Amino acid sequence: MKEEMATTSTISESDTGATPAQKSGLLVSLSAMPPEAVEATLGNLAVAFGDREVSVATPDPVGESARGNLRISSYTPVAAAPGSWVLTAADYFNAYKQMQEQGATLCLVLGPEAQTLGPEALRALVEGVTTGKADLVTPQYALGPRDGLVNAAILYPATRALFGTRARYPLAIDLAFSARMAERMATAGQRLTAANQSGAILWPVAEAAAAGYTIAEVPVGTRGLPTPDAADLNSLLAQVAGSFFADVDAKASFWQRARVAYPGRNGNGATASGQRLESVEEPEIQPMLDSFRLAYTNLHEIWSLVLPPNSLLGLKKLSLMPADAFRMPDGLWARIVYDFVLAYRLRTINRGHLLGALTPLYLAWVASHLLLTSGAGAETMAPEKHVEAVAAAFEADKPYLVARWRWPDRFNP
Amino acid sequence: MGQQIGFALKDSMHRVLVQLASFLPGLLALLVAVVVLTAIGMLLSSVIRRVLGAAKFDERFARSQSADVTDWSPGHSPTALVARIGFWVCVLLGFMIGISAFDASYAGGSHIAPILIPVLTRSVGAVLILLAGTVVARYLSRSVLIGAVNLQMQYARFLSLGVKWLVLVLTTAMALDHLQIGGVVVELAFGILFGGIVLTLSLAIGLGSRDLVSRSLEKTADGRGAGGPLHDDGVVETVRAAAGSQVKAAGNLRHF
Repeated sequence: MKEEMATTSTISESDTGATPAQKSGLLVSLSAMPPEAVEATLGNLAVAFGDREVSVATPDPVGESARGNLRISSYTPVAAAPGSWVLTAADYFNAYKQMQEQGATLCLVLGPEAQTLGPEALRALVEGVTTGKADLVTPQYALGPRDGLVNAAILYPATRALFGTRARYPLAIDLAFSARMAERMATAGQRLTAANQSGAILWPVAEAAAAGYTIAEVPVGTRGLPTPDAADLNSLLAQVAGSFFADVDAKASFWQRARVAYPGRNGNGATASGQRLESVEEPEIQPMLDSFRLAYTNLHEIWSLVLPPNSLLGLKKLSLMPADAFRMPDGLWARIVYDFVLAYRLRTINRGHLLGALTPLYLAWVASHLLLTSGAGAETMAPEKHVEAVAAAFEADKPYLVARWRWPDRFNP
Repeated sequence: MGQQIGFALKDSMHRVLVQLASFLPGLLALLVAVVVLTAIGMLLSSVIRRVLGAAKFDERFARSQSADVTDWSPGHSPTALVARIGFWVCVLLGFMIGISAFDASYAGGSHIAPILIPVLTRSVGAVLILLAGTVVARYLSRSVLIGAVNLQMQYARFLSLGVKWLVLVLTTAMALDHLQIGGVVVELAFGILFGGIVLTLSLAIGLGSRDLVSRSLEKTADGRGAGGPLHDDGVVETVRAAAGSQVKAAGNLRHF
């Protein structure tokens, strides 16, 4: 309740002049898309909400203002949206402004490539807010076992362990949220856009958890994912992991108290990644292993500034493992990520260097994950099951992070 | 004769003792000035820490993304940086006041301050140059090391060491030049060392990239032979391909 009051004063309640008759309740905010993608999305929206009047706001110019139950308006963004592959601070801020102007009470934000989401998925997201009474509804995409690996390795397990939420995709690009959640996100977005960081990534799941809002998740099936702006993995991982670590740092007072409040998933393949990988080819794995081994010989000095001796010993064992037996223990990976979060907070080394030094370790995890989830060995398991095991390891190791967060110098096992 | 020697000795001893007597208060004044200003510096540093801590200066600084300063001083928060600057300014001020007091109280008739103060300031400047150079060398060598490892370059460590020593040699030469020590010898030695390191690095990169370049040339030749489009920037393309190899070699993996 305190959170609500705090956020109310930040965003001004502008008089939009919207009368009750004009209020449609639901606003759909689209990202910048090509004209044919906009057309396809509008078609899906018309089918999804056939019995309901819907306002659609898009930054792209559209020819007609009404189409069946859809009232389409083209708007000039209040904050310049950089057209990113994820939802940015500017997107949330613009969506909230549109909600105010349209007098909407709930919002469905759709990211790039939203035309690949079916009408059922769109309806399910909105119904999560209307009938499910959730403040934030995140989609559970049915991605393939080789997709969304950063999410599986870091974002999902760490978010679940730290914030006690079950959202499988904390960096989802399609979201439905209530008015108060929109206001909270806009407040966070406004702070960043005012600091000339319109393209900054926001973490809605963590925001909702910190505010004590209800979070729901609905399966939405397959979805075409937009191609990230940056071509190489290093800069992308630094961008996303850096933003995530900063958010963890900012919400430390919350997650140190938060407890896991739900049973873990069963990992039986609610998503497409529940399917096993049929096989994994050596050319696919070998470059990642080479990258890790090269990094072990060269970056050991930098890793030793960040990681405790136990983790370094684990990495040494990993570097000596043959390719077919290469397995990174889940506990080791969880400890590595937590130590990197700590080093980010303490500025043990330059943050750019820190995030650069994480890349080879992440590639080692990917190699291990692919090997563990492919083939027909005794240890082989479904990708989703392994991701759940990793998340459980993150949860089990959370006391370590909390202890070192509070006493970074005194606690170093 | 013996009496004259005795007088001469007594006279010189008297002069030395008188000079020492006039020297000691000045030395004491210098010490007192340094100690007092150091104490004031510690107090000021503590006050700065408390005030900036209460004002959540670090958080505001990080939020405004002005983190470049802290990036260059790893391990220290902006508050700690400001507090330390305040402390060392006070210490430096103490030295300057002390030297001035020493000079004023020294009855020897010679003015030491005009000689000592420029030396002191030059020394401080040289120390600052060395410190900045060390920080820059460490930053650049780590940047090169991490970047090269992520590009899967086998000679990453060698490249990083080369960059580090380039910066350190440049810094040392600048510090010596600032102190006006060595003159032409320093410039000459610097030129030889710097040129040597650059040549070594060039050879190492050239030899290390031999396969890369030959593959690129073969690719270009194949393109010509097949009547395909000619890429003038074949080398650049190959390097780009190597840079993205982590992602591309992983076939159909999708990290995001």
